[in-house]
Order: sequence, then C-alpha cells, then structure tokens
Amino acid sequence: MNYFRKVSAIVWKDALSEMRTREIVFSVLVFALLVLVIFNFAFGADETAMNSIAPGILWVTFAFAGVLSLNRSFVQEKENGCFEALTLCPVGRDAIYVGKMLSSLVFMIIIEIITLPVYSFLFNLNVLSFEIIIITLLATIGFAAVGTLFSALAVNTRVREMVLPILFLPVVVPLLICAVNASGDALAGESWGDLFSWLMLIIAYDVVFVVASYLVFEHALEE
Amino acid sequence: MDNLGYLFAAFAVIWAVVFGYILVLMNRQKKLKRDIEKLETDIRQN
Amino acid sequence: MNKSHITKMVLLVLTTISFMAALYLIFFYVPTELSMGVVQRIFYFHVPVAWIALLSYVVIFVSSIMYLRKRSKTWDTVAIAAAEIGFIFTTAFLVTGSIWAKPAWGVWWTWSPRLTSALVLWFIYVAYLTIRAYTQGDDRKARFSSAVAIIGFIDIPIVILSISLWRTQHPSALIFEGGLTPPMLLTLQICILAFTLLYVLILIQSIQINRSILKVRDLRRLKEMNEG
Repeated sequence: MNYFRKVSAIVWKDALSEMRTREIVFSVLVFALLVLVIFNFAFGADETAMNSIAPGILWVTFAFAGVLSLNRSFVQEKENGCFEALTLCPVGRDAIYVGKMLSSLVFMIIIEIITLPVYSFLFNLNVLSFEIIIITLLATIGFAAVGTLFSALAVNTRVREMVLPILFLPVVVPLLICAVNASGDALAGESWGDLFSWLMLIIAYDVVFVVASYLVFEHALEE
Repeated sequence: MDNLGYLFAAFAVIWAVVFGYILVLMNRQKKLKRDIEKLETDIRQN
Repeated sequence: MNKSHITKMVLLVLTTISFMAALYLIFFYVPTELSMGVVQRIFYFHVPVAWIALLSYVVIFVSSIMYLRKRSKTWDTVAIAAAEIGFIFTTAFLVTGSIWAKPAWGVWWTWSPRLTSALVLWFIYVAYLTIRAYTQGDDRKARFSSAVAIIGFIDIPIVILSISLWRTQHPSALIFEGGLTPPMLLTLQICILAFTLLYVLILIQSIQINRSILKVRDLRRLKEMNEG
C-alpha cells in the first residue's frame, strides 16, 4: 500500500465514521454557536466594545471548538480500541499522523465554514471576505498540526480530554495572536500588505509545526 | 527611597524561592538515603 | 571524597563568591538609575532569573531529544530536574516582575512583551509538568513529556516574536528606558554568572536525587523478588 493510499484510508475511515454518527460536527458546531451567543450576553448592549473585540471572539470560539473536535476525534479511537489496532496494522505511525491530522483539519474547517456565516449574521460584520477565509484556513492548519499530536498523547493519560487544553492552548498562542490581529486588520479594510507580517508568521508556524509534530509523533508513540 | 520596600520584597522572593527549593532537595536526599540504606540491609539479610 | 562531591564543593564555593560579588555590585557599586530610582536594582536579579528559566528549557529540550533517541532513563532524570527548576524560576520571574511593575508603573500587572511572554512560558512549563503528572508508566511518561518539551521549546521563540509584534502594534510606554552603562552591564554579567553557577549546582543535585529515586525503585523490586 503506498503512502497516499494509507493516509487516505485513515481519512476516509474517519469521514465515514463521522458521516454515520455525526458526533463531532454536530456537538462541536452547537458548542461554537453557543459560545458566540454567550459572548454577546457577556458584552451586553455595548456595540462599540463588541466591534473592537469581534475578531477576538471569533478566534476564542475557534480555539475552544478546535479543542473539542480534536478531543472527540481521538477519544473515539481510544474507546473503540482503534488506537491499538491502528498501531498494529502495517500503516506506519507517520501515515497515522498525516491521516489523523487531515481528518481533524477537515472537521475543523467544516465547523468554521458553518460558524463564519452565523458570526457574520449575529455580529453584523462581513467575515466572509477572502482575506479572513485565508487567515482561518492557514491558522486551522496550525491547530490541526499541533492538536493531533497532543490529542494522541492526551488520550493516553489518566484524565484524557482534560489535558488537551492545557497542552494545546499555550502552544497555539502565536496563532491566536496573529489570527486575531490579521482578522481585525482585514475587517478594518486593510490591504494585503498590512496583513503580510501576520500571515507570514502564521505560515511559518504551520510549516515548523507540521514538520515538528510529524517527526515527534512517530518517536513519542513508539512503545 | 520609599520604594525600598518593593526592592526588598523582590530580593526576598528570589532568596526565599532558591533557599526553599534547596531545603526541599536536602529533605528529599535525606529521605532517599534512609530508604536506600534500609532496603540494602533488608536485601542483605535475605 | 568522590569526584561528584568535589565538583559540588567547588561549585558551591564559586557560587557563594559570585553571589557576594554580585550583591556588592548591586548595592554599593552600581549608581542609581535616574528614571526609576532604587527599585530599578531589581533588574539585576530579575533578568538572570529569566535567563535561568530559558536555559532550563534548553536543557529539557536537549534531554528530551536525547531520551527519544537513546531511551536511557538518565536523560529523563535530567529533563524532570530541569523542568522543576525552570518552572520555579519562571514563577519567581513573574512574581518579581509584578513587584517591580507596581512602583515603576503603578500597576501590579502589565501586558508588556516581557511579562506576557514569561506568562506563556509559565504555561508551557505547566503543560510539561501536567503531561508528566497524568501519564502512567516510566517509559510512556518520558516519551510523552519529551514530545511536549520539544514542541514547547520550538514554540518559545515564535511566542516571543508574535507577542513583540503584537505589542509594537499597540505600544504602551512600559519599556525599560535607555541602554546599559558599563557599570550596569558588569553588574548584570556577574549576576548572570552567579545564577548560572547556582543553577548548575542545583541541577546536578536534583539529577542525583532523581537517580536515587530510580535506584530505590530498583532496590524495592529486588527485595520483592528475593522475598517472593
């Protein structure tokens, strides 16, 4: 089985499982929408305050929803004994990493695709611009890269899902800073040139951490 | 000169932290020495 | 008097001497800084503490990589020793930073690049200690924490960079004004030396303790085998 087929087999398995149960997408999606609504209550009627923190609210939502979807993805594996089965079959841990990362990425993107229009609607801001979509995509790659590795570790600990936010959120701080600032600039109508430094940092983050997580995954999970 | 209190506090914190940790290490070492001696005599008796 | 004992004694003497020199320099030699007054002298302990916190993470990073390659428990004992010390020093940095901030800028906390980055570093240390605490099995614990350490370490410069970029966009006048005059530089260098020596001393001691812990575990197992 060549590499591409191994990876797509894993992605397809996750996709099928999700299409049958719809566990992840529904629960995380509802959570994301609830977070948006709750932020609205938190800031009350102060519209100027809301507008200045708007990108922050969006990315906090994405960060928390991301953690949830990453958690569910691996907890399922653990509960069904798939984890051990996966490591036994001759797929190679590197393919497992790539496969799981891609499927987590797809899940997160699906949730974001639905959340963005709702956000646009609730906050009266046009976040469906090309710039914001690019920013979201790039940052989500970083989330998936680090999140897949940490999720695989977390699921094998005593407290499972609870550990993931503690590992994930500090490491993802640069992504959050860059994404929030870039989104804010994009909403304010800045040009690509101004977004440049933020985007460069996000891309650098993605490259570094996809490679690093890929390399570490193999060694860290080798019993 | 009224900020001397803060200066003192900062240095005191660092001193307390370092000294405290050294005490912790010393206690650990003492306990471990006891454990090792006890275990070694136990094994020798067996 | 074995080799390790002699090394530690020498280190202890050197550390004591450099700390006495450092204290003299801080309190008698260096002139008072103009804008902040006497409080500014916190700087001479504050900066070395940060240096130690970062140095410690370098140690964790290297030992983690070595553990994943060699799978020898010794490297893991180095990592956890460095993690403990690094975490404590990061906490000390945050606390002294806060103590300095109050008289200097009137607030207990500021989101300045230095303090904010230190706070994230603190959480990265917490992440390392957390994964260690909740993973069972020596090998697994070491492997998992090595993974977290490596990712965390690579993250640190990116965190500092992004926070600085963010803060230059929204600057607040909370930066240390002016450069360092030669007497200030000398004082700082001696302090860094003193703390580094102290660090090496504590690190060696902690590593030896961790190895003793492993030895106790082995002895216990041996004892049970003999009795059973």
